[in-house]
Amino acid sequence: MNTFLSRGNALLAFTLSVLASLTFCCFASTFFNDNRRDANVRTVQVVVKNVADYSASREKNDLGFLTFDLEADLTSVFNWNAKQLFLYLVAEYQTPKNTLNQVVLWDKIILRGENAKIDVKSINTKYYFWDDGNGLKNNQNVTLALHWNVIPNAGLLPNVAAHGLHTFSFPAQYATARGA
Amino acid sequence: MIELPAWIPTHMDYEGQKWAERLFQVIIVLFGVVGLVWGYSIQQFSQTVYILGAGVALACLLTLPPWPMYRRHPLNWQKPRSA
Repeated sequence: MNTFLSRGNALLAFTLSVLASLTFCCFASTFFNDNRRDANVRTVQVVVKNVADYSASREKNDLGFLTFDLEADLTSVFNWNAKQLFLYLVAEYQTPKNTLNQVVLWDKIILRGENAKIDVKSINTKYYFWDDGNGLKNNQNVTLALHWNVIPNAGLLPNVAAHGLHTFSFPAQYATARGA
Repeated sequence: MIELPAWIPTHMDYEGQKWAERLFQVIIVLFGVVGLVWGYSIQQFSQTVYILGAGVALACLLTLPPWPMYRRHPLNWQKPRSA
């Protein structure tokens, strides 16, 4: 502590310790937050086809097509410790082949500062709804749920589901596969 | 190390060093707490870090150069004695 540089070194090291404790306080202030909100999901048009998935195994699998509406207001999930939200819409169902299937159909990243109110009508899914097998035709109990992951500045990444699920069924007939 | 001209002082005495260390610790912690409260109230952590940075700049200015206030308790050296 008796030269300019050693004082500077001590000062900067102390600053880093203080910065680390401030960051911990930032994390601690949002640790108990409930990040769940309501969301409204509806399906508009639902069709299922039976096609060969050439990127998999050449057998014919069920391919679901659906358009959906989604409404959710996520502005209050953002706080000083939330950088962005990663939203994803999951379809969950059971088939004779598999007890639990979960397929992500759509996702979106919302940065802090962007509009966090979602109100989309009749949009297509972003990803294909392939089933492992032929379990979509006439499946009466397919549930769509919106989940999101809160990406923080510091700390844990909570992954929560919205309140409000939507259950729908696939038709009992395949639609004609005209070049899926 | 670069050689400074002789009239630029480069040391503090021990009392001054103690005060300098205490002073920068107090300044940085104070600005850190103020920054935390302000950042929480406007919900922006970047503001907390900027306020802390301002505190660090102030502390550097006040405690890094050997100002005269840190040289008010010089050691009492004995007079040199010829052998």
